[in-house]
Amino acid sequence: MLGYIRQPVISLRDVGFEYAKGGFSLDVPELTVPSGARAAAIGPSGSGKTTLLNLISGIERPRSGEVSTAGVRVDRLSPAARRSFRITTIGFVFQEFLLLEYLDVLDNILYPYRLHPELRLDASVRSRARRLASDLGLASLLNRRPSELSQGERQRIAIARALVTAPKLILADEPTGSLDPATKKQALDLLFEQCDARSTTLLMVTHDHGLLEQFAQIVDVEALGPTEA
Amino acid sequence: MKDSLYLAWRYLRHHRAKTLLLVLSLSVFLGLPLVMRAMSRATQQSLLARAEATPLLLGKKGSSLDLVVEALYFQLKGAEPITEADVDAIHATGLALGIPIRTGLMARGFPLVGTSLDYFPFRRLRIAEGRGLAMIGDCILGAEAAKTLELGPGDTLLTSPSTLFDLAGVYPLKLQVVGVLEPTYGPDDKAVFVDVKTAWVAEGLGHGHQDLALAGPDVVLKRNEGTVTANAKLVQYNEITESNVDSFHFHGDPSGYPVSAAIVVPHDEKAGVLLRGRFVDAPTRQLVRPSQVVDSLNKQIFRFERVLQIVVWTVGLATAVMFVLVMVLSWRLRAEELRTMTRLGCSRWKAAQIMGSEIALMVGASVLIAGLFGIVMAQYGETWLQNLILRGS
Repeated sequence: MLGYIRQPVISLRDVGFEYAKGGFSLDVPELTVPSGARAAAIGPSGSGKTTLLNLISGIERPRSGEVSTAGVRVDRLSPAARRSFRITTIGFVFQEFLLLEYLDVLDNILYPYRLHPELRLDASVRSRARRLASDLGLASLLNRRPSELSQGERQRIAIARALVTAPKLILADEPTGSLDPATKKQALDLLFEQCDARSTTLLMVTHDHGLLEQFAQIVDVEALGPTEA
Repeated sequence: MKDSLYLAWRYLRHHRAKTLLLVLSLSVFLGLPLVMRAMSRATQQSLLARAEATPLLLGKKGSSLDLVVEALYFQLKGAEPITEADVDAIHATGLALGIPIRTGLMARGFPLVGTSLDYFPFRRLRIAEGRGLAMIGDCILGAEAAKTLELGPGDTLLTSPSTLFDLAGVYPLKLQVVGVLEPTYGPDDKAVFVDVKTAWVAEGLGHGHQDLALAGPDVVLKRNEGTVTANAKLVQYNEITESNVDSFHFHGDPSGYPVSAAIVVPHDEKAGVLLRGRFVDAPTRQLVRPSQVVDSLNKQIFRFERVLQIVVWTVGLATAVMFVLVMVLSWRLRAEELRTMTRLGCSRWKAAQIMGSEIALMVGASVLIAGLFGIVMAQYGETWLQNLILRGS
């Protein structure tokens, strides 16, 4: 692991988590991801990769320990504050894209702005969204529906949606899992390019060990702590 | 809120068919009971108002409802007629004014109503265009009849033949339209008024033809003392004009000619009571108070309305349950979308707001449609329902 002098965007210390129903727990003694870094979370299925993302984003709350994201102790926030923090600070890219069929491409990109009052949708945001769409090769597709587009194009919309709020951190949960190799490379190149251009920290869950060379930091979730209660 | 409405609108727009179905179902659920109630009330009031404005009605003994329906609303029920002599008898009592009403024929779809000149001031009918009845053969059109037929003073109107395929039957009479009445928004708007004698001529009880004294031998079959027998070559007039009006005549005593009913207007309350007393035991005639008859009809309508409302509310309840079911199923199908919203950071309140906006938009559209439906029904429904009730009674 490289030595970083930058302020960490993600910092977990002595974190203990288990689901209320039991059956799974995750311990993270220490994890830091510095600002602007490109990190990959790896591990077999069920090792807790998605749980780790949920803890970092505040979707889940740890039983013990400290979770600090973008300088905010998310473990101390109320559920409402965590949601507010999440939508304003973090961008998500999901494996299944999770786009809305009843919205066109532009509205899908701007979707986070429709969900939270702190995000104000004005002309400058629209302009940024169009620029982003253009950067991701979606300029001519803005009025189309997701079902009319290819898998690669849909993933690019999901990336644009994650970036449109100018987040400090992008959490990507196997974003290329459902793409063919050529499309996968194209989508990842675009995601890395956009994150680098904005100095946005990226933490990406992946099973593809062939991609790991492109990441500055690799987090082996299985090595962090027990996965079976 | 604007964003929630926007998302809701886009969702509903995308699922047009489902939205339309739900909105229409809700419109019926919201609108039908209100419209039914309003229409029923308006119809009952309208029926009662005309009945209350008619003090007494004289007719042949039988169904008082048929009598009222025929004489007040000009719906053809074919009640047994009385005679002109009955109307004269009312006059002769000195207790009341008798206004004959003769219905039975139609003129291009509108009832032909034979009456006397007293009818117009009694009903407070005013001439909007042209003049009143002056000679037999004249007719005055109700406002709606004039508008529908696109006729006015100076035009002519043929009565409809009562038996289309009977060559020996009564031929249509060409009426001169001399006036159009101001609208009253009642049955008078849809009537063609003529003098009762004109109605008799139209029925074939009176007729006009060329002067037999001047007719040639090819027309006259035989001449006896005071009697001339003509053949079919005799020219019969199917239009009453100033030049041939004198040739129109009735055979027999017109006092025995039929009238469907007579509106009886007592000079005072006591006269009314006296007159009613005289007809209590009359074997072949009845003198009814239309308001009582319509009141009894309204009670029937009210009972029917209550049954109908139970049916409508039951259907409404089923619609509401269906609506809730569709919405719940829809949200379950959209669980992935809701999960995405939550993961992105959307609050539960916001998610509920978006779903609520969808319901609000659909309910809003339904209220709008129900309102428009209500306005349309308020405009035309009363007449429609009135016709339905009277024809079906």
